Amino acid sequence: MSMNEQPTEPWHGDQLAPGYAPSQPQSVPSPATQTSARRAGGLSRRKLFIGLAGAGAIAAVGGGVALEQWVQHGESKPTFQGPLAGNAQIGHLLRRAGFSATPQEISSYAALGYNGAVDRLINYQSVSDDAMEQRLKSLNLDLTKLQNQQLWWLLRMAWTQRPLLEKMTLFWSGHFTSNFHNVGKTRERMITQNQFLREHAFDTFDNLLLGITADPAMLVYLNLTQSKKNAPNENYARELMELFTLGLGNYMQQDVYEAAAALTGWHVIGQTTTSQYLENTHNNLTKTYLGHTGNLDYKDVLTILVNHPATPWFICRKLFTFFAYENPSDDDVKPLVDTYVKSHHNMGEVMRTLLFSPQFTSEKAYRSRIKSPTEFTVGAYRALNIQSDGVGLPAAATLMGQGLFDPPNVAGWPGDKTSSLWLNSGTWMARLNFIEQLLVRGNGSSKPYQPLDLQGIVNQNHIDSPEHFVDYFVSFLLDGKLDQDREANLVDYFTTTDSATHKAQQITLTNGKSYPINRVRGTLYLLMALPEYQLN
Amino acid sequence: MRLSRRAMIKDGMVVVSAGMVMPAIFSRGIASAKALAADNTHAALAASDRTLIVVQMAGGNDGLNTVVPYTDPTYRKMRPTIGVAENKLLSLDNRLGFHPNLAPLKTLWDQGHLAVVEGVGYPNQSLSHFQAMDIWQTLDLSGNGREGWLGKVVSGWVDNDGHPFKVMDIGSQTAQALQSISKPVPTLTNVQSYRLVADPSDRADKGNARVQALMKLYNTYPKSSPYAALLDTIALDAQEGTNQLSMANDAYHPAVTYPSGPFGAGLKVLAEVIVQGLGLRIGYVTLGGFDTHSNQVQTHNTLMTTLAEGLSAFYKDLVQHGKADNVVIMTWSEFGRRVEENGSLGTDHGTAAPMFILGNAVNKGIYGEPPALNNLDHSGNLKYTVDFRSVYATVLDRWVGASSKDVLGSTFDVQNFLPAI
Repeated sequence: MSMNEQPTEPWHGDQLAPGYAPSQPQSVPSPATQTSARRAGGLSRRKLFIGLAGAGAIAAVGGGVALEQWVQHGESKPTFQGPLAGNAQIGHLLRRAGFSATPQEISSYAALGYNGAVDRLINYQSVSDDAMEQRLKSLNLDLTKLQNQQLWWLLRMAWTQRPLLEKMTLFWSGHFTSNFHNVGKTRERMITQNQFLREHAFDTFDNLLLGITADPAMLVYLNLTQSKKNAPNENYARELMELFTLGLGNYMQQDVYEAAAALTGWHVIGQTTTSQYLENTHNNLTKTYLGHTGNLDYKDVLTILVNHPATPWFICRKLFTFFAYENPSDDDVKPLVDTYVKSHHNMGEVMRTLLFSPQFTSEKAYRSRIKSPTEFTVGAYRALNIQSDGVGLPAAATLMGQGLFDPPNVAGWPGDKTSSLWLNSGTWMARLNFIEQLLVRGNGSSKPYQPLDLQGIVNQNHIDSPEHFVDYFVSFLLDGKLDQDREANLVDYFTTTDSATHKAQQITLTNGKSYPINRVRGTLYLLMALPEYQLN
Repeated sequence: MRLSRRAMIKDGMVVVSAGMVMPAIFSRGIASAKALAADNTHAALAASDRTLIVVQMAGGNDGLNTVVPYTDPTYRKMRPTIGVAENKLLSLDNRLGFHPNLAPLKTLWDQGHLAVVEGVGYPNQSLSHFQAMDIWQTLDLSGNGREGWLGKVVSGWVDNDGHPFKVMDIGSQTAQALQSISKPVPTLTNVQSYRLVADPSDRADKGNARVQALMKLYNTYPKSSPYAALLDTIALDAQEGTNQLSMANDAYHPAVTYPSGPFGAGLKVLAEVIVQGLGLRIGYVTLGGFDTHSNQVQTHNTLMTTLAEGLSAFYKDLVQHGKADNVVIMTWSEFGRRVEENGSLGTDHGTAAPMFILGNAVNKGIYGEPPALNNLDHSGNLKYTVDFRSVYATVLDRWVGASSKDVLGSTFDVQNFLPAI
């Protein structure tokens, strides 16, 4: 199956046999009841999603409520009242559920109110992203190269009108990890996987697991494609439980063996970006897995996992940590777990619960995480509305410790869980040097370099004093929240001139006064180098 | 100025880490150093000039194909396709032989500078990469530890002499082994990018005014703010370190050609810091890719080459610069691999594995007992014969000069791969 044959819409719940099940593992029916999805010629990946629905006899599979249905419930909630004032609340939302924003974007989201802003972010289909797709396509990137893959995605994040969709895809890529260097010669498999994660970002957890199990990059990365029915490879089985669903302590080594046997059958097709299920490569022996016995296959394993009580706690805790704050309490996570169960494992609904939770907009969440390298690079590029081709972005993010499509290991980026791990002396300098490059040359390839057009920004925004200059950037880069004495430090830097800069290029404020470029640009550099700006 | 700034930051740390108990390693370290000084001045002086380099082999190195029990018929039986051919092995004794690509290490063995500790592990291994890495690095057998074992040593080293590079980690993220409650560790991938780039329009003062303004903004970042201690210390470390490293980089000329790739490049940075006398006590570098579940022969061959050529170049460089007596290298991996090969020409997760200890101070030999291949645990894995903490204890007591009892929390037998002080 080619990339284009992938399902392009989130899976619709109405394709699913009814039967919401409680989140306890249920007994798995005998193999005879599962034959509807079995075909001698193998199961294509496209059929996969229908395949599980067709195997309706697996009573424990939770249903999915289509995202459209969910967001179109139309019940009007009262305007959400968080403790953060308007600007800070929208700024916080757009940083966490996106990648920072220009003043114009912040205004347009603020006009919707918090509820409306969340709706627009989650209900991404209502917002066209054609302009971004066109722009990206026109770059003609050779996606067999790591740096181009990274650029392709970083620019998506920078240019998208669907920031939460990209942020959610980033979350999933750090959860369902694969690595460019370990997916065989067909490196585009990473892009195929990325598109899958994007298309199903708010889908049911069931569908995410089904798709990722059959995902060509994953099949190679965690060796399921090489797993033989008579000698199953343990790699995918173990990480599926330890890192993707249950967490350590909820299974035994014996469950790894049994799951490995049950999961056999999926393979990549040659050097393509497609995969297939081959019945005759599936281990047909009886397995006993997490208390279930039968001729279990991948659908049974995934069904057991999505309904295991540990799964929603594991995934919701990780989601909460990534989007809100670290070390959440059980009380913090429980509403998400409840939604997971009630919504038949719909991750869009879980996200909605998260974004509307009082915790998400609490003081505790505000600026509580260090910006990830992706948030830092894309955020600065996006908020300053940089128009370069951004070719410097991948190297910058990598030097800061986050090479997309190239996570350090199967557990993803440790900074996603503990954001302070993003910071050390080396990555700190990489951050500051990135700001330097961005302001001086736009981080693009075009020569002569395109420095940020500070005179244009001054003119457009009628900036008539050094104080106004600092206020303007603080307003959207720091939600207007910076201590007065620190603003004063920045103004001091702006207004201090030295003899050497006398003849330099000048920036003229709208009050007619001119200041040397190094001080003007240096002030913005210092603002983005601030400890406060490292926080998300 | 620098000292008072350091002192202030230290005070800030104390506030931040209120409730956490500072380990007593440092005070005991001083006490034992003083006792040593009374006994043997030479040893105490030497201790202050010693460097430990820790090499992490991430992903779970296949110990059985690294140090091969080649005369054991079970090895051939369990590994019919991926076993290393006997006629290619570099024999150490009548039981064990090195993987052929470890020839550079075999040379160091022959010269008497290499020790192998066999069968290293710990009880009840879960076969999880991440729990295993946590345990090796934090010593907490529940896998929930936070502070690293080297971090405990580091946090005892209050820096009063402006040496930002007592500890250095090569990479873009600080290893958990080095995480401490009070001291971020300088972490870098290369020397060239370990500096702040000045704005071209600041050519006149090379960006100095901007750096001064920057440091002031970090210095005045309120101590009660998020991540205040971390951000402040990092900025100061960076500012101090960047000049020192830059000068060292200009002065240093490697005596050997390091192999290409990040591992060799990282070792070269560590050599530079040692050779230029920046006060390095602990250096850390990681070589990844050892999780060989499939088609492992080619991958593992390459990794063995990278490891051996890198360490050999590093050692030779130190010899040429007269520093080899002062440096000990220790390798570790979170686990070895399953004894029996799997159906994908690879190996699944295992348990015990060998460690290498390298340096002029090292007593050549094989320490610990190679685990029996015919007496496996219920997962088909080796039963460990040496607790990893006894290796740490040896290195701490006999090389680093820190109290192993304080770092490890209890007493472990030491091994004789390093001489008693």
